[in-house]
Amino acid sequence: MYQYDAIDQQLVDERVAQFRDQTRRYLNKELSEQEFLPLRLQNGLYVQRYAPMLRIAIPYGMLSSTQLRKLADISCRYDRSYGHFSTRQNLQLNWPKLEDVPDILAELAQVEMHAVQTSGNCIRNTTTDQYAGVIADEIVDPRPYCELIRQWSTFHPEFAFLPRKFKIAVNATESADRAATQVHDIGLHIKKNDAGEIGFKIIVGGGLGRTPMVGVTICEFMPRKDLLTYLDAIIRVYNQQGRRDNKYKARIKILVKALGIEEFRNRVDAEWAHLKGKESTVPMSEFDRLTSFFSEPAYAALENKPEILSSKLADSAGFARWYERNTFEHKKPGYRIVTLTLKKAGQAPGDATSDQMQKAADLSDKFSFGELRVSHEQNLVLADVRQEQLVELWEAAKEAGFATPTLGLLTDMICCPGGDFCSLANAKSIPIAEQIQETFNDLDYLFDLGNIDLNISGCMNACGHHHVGNIGILGVDKKGEEFYQISIGGASGHDASIGKILGPSFAQEEISTVIQKLMNVYVENRSEDERFIDTYRRVGITPFKEAAYAKAN
Amino acid sequence: MPKLIKNGGIIDNAFIWQQDPEQKVTPNSIIAAQKWLSEKDTIGCVAGIWLDAGDGIEFLQDVDLTQFDVIGVNFPAFTDGRGFSYARLLRERLNYQGEIRALGHFIPDQLGYLLRVGFNSFQFNEEVDLEKALALHKPFSIAYQGDVSDPRPIFLRR
Ligand code: HEM
Ligand code: SF4
Repeated sequence: MYQYDAIDQQLVDERVAQFRDQTRRYLNKELSEQEFLPLRLQNGLYVQRYAPMLRIAIPYGMLSSTQLRKLADISCRYDRSYGHFSTRQNLQLNWPKLEDVPDILAELAQVEMHAVQTSGNCIRNTTTDQYAGVIADEIVDPRPYCELIRQWSTFHPEFAFLPRKFKIAVNATESADRAATQVHDIGLHIKKNDAGEIGFKIIVGGGLGRTPMVGVTICEFMPRKDLLTYLDAIIRVYNQQGRRDNKYKARIKILVKALGIEEFRNRVDAEWAHLKGKESTVPMSEFDRLTSFFSEPAYAALENKPEILSSKLADSAGFARWYERNTFEHKKPGYRIVTLTLKKAGQAPGDATSDQMQKAADLSDKFSFGELRVSHEQNLVLADVRQEQLVELWEAAKEAGFATPTLGLLTDMICCPGGDFCSLANAKSIPIAEQIQETFNDLDYLFDLGNIDLNISGCMNACGHHHVGNIGILGVDKKGEEFYQISIGGASGHDASIGKILGPSFAQEEISTVIQKLMNVYVENRSEDERFIDTYRRVGITPFKEAAYAKAN
Repeated sequence: MPKLIKNGGIIDNAFIWQQDPEQKVTPNSIIAAQKWLSEKDTIGCVAGIWLDAGDGIEFLQDVDLTQFDVIGVNFPAFTDGRGFSYARLLRERLNYQGEIRALGHFIPDQLGYLLRVGFNSFQFNEEVDLEKALALHKPFSIAYQGDVSDPRPIFLRR
């Protein structure tokens, strides 16, 4: 894991001091509301429905057990003993007091954490695959590159006041894109060319929100040394030419769409011509330095499928189910990647109590070299678990409420905080998640349905990524009443697509019935082993639409 | 005489930022760059020109910038970050060595960033306490990226 040196630590400490002073001046009325707004936003502080919301950065989702314990402790002492892990691999606290935020930041700084640029119109926390570094088919570990981007984007003097927020995600596997790179402002796919050199395919202009778009390729292969100069060029063009007259049209996707990718690329290249080869060209020594932080932990030489695992798989259907769903193949024999799900019925997706955070930290110490990751699907991951310890881990995970064996299934939902917390919401989203979890509680049935992404957002800002859910649920407001629009056919992986709206919206109590009907259409139409999304792509929207709106007879 | 912050100190402002195109141009005027460009043959000597957000710097490419004591950059709103690039491009691309002055709506908390992209003078709104602003001059003692005073990113300096 990356470890701060004196420079990193100094910057974070100085940021704490700066924000402490800004908060003091705001409370003293030396800074106006309007002036304080972007300053606090660049430090992750929203003013929300009930209290400020503080978004703490978890760069590319990596956490040490020490850091997670600190988060547990902070959420316990300064908040209501829980936190919300978000799709952008961050942690949100919903109830901190503004006056306390400088102290919270100071405590975070003690464990090499911060809330820098977690919101506001600047370059946000870079995200990546939660399985980075431990999957077999990865081209290289993307985390050193994420760290390079983190440093380049932190307090970038030219790009702190962009037209709109800016999000970058990195992927390094051909077989899956777990970071939804194609719906980011910039998506980076790490590649190796025929000469064995590492570089990036660069995708630009994806994004969700009001005008959802899948990004387009601006560059097929950018050598890694040129990454930062090229990113500077892209963002400089965007900063200059992106729309500032209308915040709904201010994202880079709108600019790319308006110019067309050819013209946008020409402008970026013209800018890049001045930057290419200059000081920001990254030397090999820096890649080596960054890579050294992500070297392999002390793996033992182990065999796959030890006896204790095989016999438990044979004996316990519950364990077998958990193993099948919540664990993933590791690049090293004898190890397994384990997801601790935060999707227990009755708990908002992504929420974890302080106690759970504490327990997850303990589990990571005991089973996974003291490290964890946060996933885009709002779960926690232990990346390096010995297969011989899986049974023990399973028992412990069950106790802590982490073992809901539904990873990737219909009830492993992404869900934004919605109307319960968010002042922008048109409708609640957590009760919808609950309703679906209650309705679809038969594990055999869920298993039979297989992989389905169901994403819920409380308004069209799309924090819950509803557009790219195989099933998307969007809260809408109809004359002051809460309704829900359903879309199907979205996807966020390498086959990214934006879902199509089924038709008129539904009342809250109808949602799980409608989902049930959609599932029936799928089950009737699927060919063997076909995923929901593939059946949809084959048969089209019509049968789903007909079933959803059919009058009961 | 109104004061401003320049090169880390508080000094008297010798120039007049002329926003009204009808106002009479004097040798102390900082006038709109576009106006200067179209009327430069008749307008006479000025202290400098100012850029508006959206102007870019390309149109100054073939202009001899050494004739100006100052180039101003207007921030229509402090959240409009276009001017940050202008200063940087004036320094790095057009090699302008003179004074670059921030004008309009920017706030003391932005001084750290403004300095790093090449601004060296700051004409704040009247209500800003310059002594207090000066204290916010340098929020960070170190930076990851290169900037106009040292173009080397951290990886060349660690
Ligand atoms: C609770 C307070 C929150 C507020 C006020 C808020 C606000 C917003 C707004 C205004 C947008 C639209 C931006 C645009 O279209 O340009 C947005 C998008 C987004 N937010 Fe949030 N959000 C909140 C919570 C969350 C949470 C909990 C998550 C993660 C679970 C999240 C992740 C995202 C993502 C991924 C997007 C879509 C990005 C895109 O357009 O590509 N936000 N949010
Ligand atoms: S999608 Fe809307 S309701 Fe949900 S968190 Fe985002 S802004 Fe709030």
